[in-house]
Amino acid sequence: METLDAIISQYIDPYYLRIMVLIGINIILALGINLITGVTGQLTMGHAGFMSIGAYTSAILSMQYGFSYLAALLAGALMAALFGVIIGIPTLRLEGDYLAMVTIGAAEIIRVFFLNFEPGGKAVGMAGIPQHTTFITVWLVALIIILLNVRLLNSRYGRAFYAIKENEIAAAASGIDTTRIKILAFMVGAFLGGLGGGLYAHYMYYINPQDFGFMKSIELLNMVVLGGMGSIPGTILGAFILTLAPEMLRIVSEYRLLFYGALLVILMIFRPNGLLGNVRLYDLRKRWWKKEVETWQS
Amino acid sequence: MLNFRKKSKLGIVLCLLMALTLLVGCSGSNETSDKAEAPAEKQEVIKLGFLGAKTGDVANYGIPGEKGMKMAIDELNAGDGIMGKKVEGVYEDNKGDTGEIANIATKYITRDKVVAMVGDPCTGLTKVAAEIAQENKTVIFSAGATGTGVVEIGDYVFRNTLLDQFAVPSVVDWMVNSMGWKNIAVITSLNNGYSTALTPVFKEALKTQNTKIVIEESINDGESDFSAQITKLKKANADVLVFTGYYREAALIMNEAQKQGLAISLIGGDGLYGQDLIKLGKTAVEEKVIYYCGFSSDQASAETSKFINKYEEIYKEKPDMFSAQYYDAVMILAKAMTDAKSTDPSIFKAELAKLKDYPGVSGNTTFRADREPVKSPICLITVKDGNFVVLEKIPVNIK
Amino acid sequence: MFWEQLLNGLTLGSTYALIALGYTMVYGIVQLINFAHGEIYMFGAFAGLFLASYCGVNILVALLGAMAFCMLLGMLVERIAYRPLRGKSSRLSALISAIGVSIFLSTLMVLLAGTNTRRYPDVVPNHTFHLAGLDFSLMQVIILLFSAALMLGLQFMVKKTRIGKAMRACSQDLDAAYLMGINVNRVISFTFAIGSALAAAGGVMVGIYYNAVWPYMGTMAGLKAFAAAVLGGIGSIPGAMIGGISLGILEIMGVAYLSSSYKDAIAFGILILVLLIRPQGLLGQKISKKV
Repeated sequence: METLDAIISQYIDPYYLRIMVLIGINIILALGINLITGVTGQLTMGHAGFMSIGAYTSAILSMQYGFSYLAALLAGALMAALFGVIIGIPTLRLEGDYLAMVTIGAAEIIRVFFLNFEPGGKAVGMAGIPQHTTFITVWLVALIIILLNVRLLNSRYGRAFYAIKENEIAAAASGIDTTRIKILAFMVGAFLGGLGGGLYAHYMYYINPQDFGFMKSIELLNMVVLGGMGSIPGTILGAFILTLAPEMLRIVSEYRLLFYGALLVILMIFRPNGLLGNVRLYDLRKRWWKKEVETWQS
Repeated sequence: MLNFRKKSKLGIVLCLLMALTLLVGCSGSNETSDKAEAPAEKQEVIKLGFLGAKTGDVANYGIPGEKGMKMAIDELNAGDGIMGKKVEGVYEDNKGDTGEIANIATKYITRDKVVAMVGDPCTGLTKVAAEIAQENKTVIFSAGATGTGVVEIGDYVFRNTLLDQFAVPSVVDWMVNSMGWKNIAVITSLNNGYSTALTPVFKEALKTQNTKIVIEESINDGESDFSAQITKLKKANADVLVFTGYYREAALIMNEAQKQGLAISLIGGDGLYGQDLIKLGKTAVEEKVIYYCGFSSDQASAETSKFINKYEEIYKEKPDMFSAQYYDAVMILAKAMTDAKSTDPSIFKAELAKLKDYPGVSGNTTFRADREPVKSPICLITVKDGNFVVLEKIPVNIK
Repeated sequence: MFWEQLLNGLTLGSTYALIALGYTMVYGIVQLINFAHGEIYMFGAFAGLFLASYCGVNILVALLGAMAFCMLLGMLVERIAYRPLRGKSSRLSALISAIGVSIFLSTLMVLLAGTNTRRYPDVVPNHTFHLAGLDFSLMQVIILLFSAALMLGLQFMVKKTRIGKAMRACSQDLDAAYLMGINVNRVISFTFAIGSALAAAGGVMVGIYYNAVWPYMGTMAGLKAFAAAVLGGIGSIPGAMIGGISLGILEIMGVAYLSSSYKDAIAFGILILVLLIRPQGLLGQKISKKV
């Protein structure tokens, strides 16, 4: 794998390589949100919180406890998944914007916790995290995650997720244990958040609680909504566009964020359901192989 | 059937991969054309990358820094450049964001082919860029990072600000023995890396003297409401308030103190420097806010006043610490390249490390063996009649 | 100290409440979390600053001017960024559009005014009252009275006037209101105008109280106000007031008696607990789910 990375870094400009790595990480993170919000319909606006748990856990384990890269990543992701379950529990009682508020609040609490967290260096952050994450590792993980996501959404669980989004009461009436399924969605989504956070920490050398603020959560949510809620190719496309856009817009320097903001508004006006909204891999396949289009209304 | 499904998914994945390689391929081809031009270009100009925020919360450090850097580069180009080659600055805005600065540092090194980067004013951001600079064998010269663990990253990493560890003991000594302040209140800005790093330095120094920390509070950068903290402070009977954050919050804290009728001096590091301290605080900060730093436009040396006059002429405003330090950083880099007769970072970095008694506009600078800069004396600065004036110059004892 | 801190909390809370009212009004009618609301509050603060210190007008005129300006701004934002999306997209797309507007507006202000924090003119003398061992400032009294007056005025408008009736009708059922001959677009536009004017008033008040405004003041204030609106029960006007004031008191008391390091965590933690006990917020109505 290292040789492959060496070959790649020889032929590709490190600047592009860097952006490609970030795209890979963002795809993993966005797929987590897609599962919770896009597929299961539970609005989460605090995904950066899960990301920071994964980032800090894996960074501390690999720096101070000598965990291997893979073990640290997994541990970080599992820790985030644990918090996903804890934050998922309020979904028993809350929905919509109230749930969104709880996720925002939880992410803020996590951020404040890390700001007071001595082993993580408080606001100074942690520097010198070994840079294990490379182009190959990120995209390998991303591909595995994409494949697993496709498998999951085409499984019994996947159909249960969609059912809850469509109509929770009907889903419950059809014998779906909605509580368990919603918490499961949060757990898997948070797992992906933690995984992305771990990959991010091992790529950036340095993490800081302020990296995982409210705006980061919003940025990630934007990817899913822009790409198309509930759609895996859409989410991937969203992650691509919104990671590339700030880099592309670098030429307009200080007007960059102005364009970024306007871009979000315009895209939403012309593609209100996201770029690939209502497109599922499942339908896409039908389109290709059977020439039979089945749109799916949200 | 099952087989068919699997194949189709594989197809989709393959398509994704193709799109990916296409994208990478495009970027790859771009890159080769860049590379072809690069060597020819490299002979013509020497590029320096600017690290700093032009928008965002810490833009107030980046913007004057950029001005100082531009001024230094223009001055070099008005003369002979560096060894007859023109100098060119590249100025990207990192918004004070760690992800951004990493992208920008990578872009500077690989696409702009800079020989050195100047900045960032913040310690945390500098560390991110320094890792990248070290790995890519490019010099990074921070004009503002005062926290620990910067030059330790590697031999391509430099800075020209005095470490807080060196300055604070002298400041605390002055507080206790010259002013007789014994009961100390400490306020930290929790989400500010500079502040959370400086507070322990102060507390460590306070421990060695006969002092007592009567109250410890925290705030966050960007907030405006400090009423609860000040109400608590009022009851604590402190002689002086040590605040380790930035000027914006310092001014607002002093405003609130004035409103609640609390007359207390506030002392802190060079993060308190900024014309906005005076603009925001007005009477509340008059002769009450004191900070230490290596640069003051007041009581300047001949060299420094020349710089100040020229800066005022160009930008119609007073230079600050960051403009002076960025200016110095560019000049020190130019000197090192000239002395080493090379623009190769791996060669001139050795020359840079040898710097001794450089008479910069931000003070005399010497690099120790570990490349940490030593600057002495430091100025204690306060606000008087709407201007920053030197209250006292105190020597720094570095073992 | 308790009473002084309570007063600090009330003052902070009233500013949250003024912003939260705008959130709640818009939400009540179109179920949109108007994320740009915090930026409108920031624009209001700057418009007031511009009028008061660069045009040199009286502060009351500046306040009215800022409110009028933000009314127009709010209506413009609604017209450009939200109306085209209404009816044909999910609420989340509207949310993203709102986030886009929010980013756009705060960047615009940075380009116009720079990132600096600016001092507000000293229009209210720093007079401190001493009453029964309690210190409080004139400005605190003004903010409390002003906020209370605005909130009562709003309540009157919604409950007693014709347009208020139309607003209530729209909040119950947009389609039915339309069928009853209510010009829904106009009512929504009006709601944005009123909400934005309240935010502008909040912005100017905060500017005077803290003597400072800056382009990034909207984001955090917007988030806090959203929390306040949710705490009170989003969509409910008295709820926004109670939510705002409780959040302010909660924050101040967290600093006063617990720890200033965990201030926001304490406030959000209690908010989550309240929501777990009362999922519809303090005064929100429980909507039974339709099958």
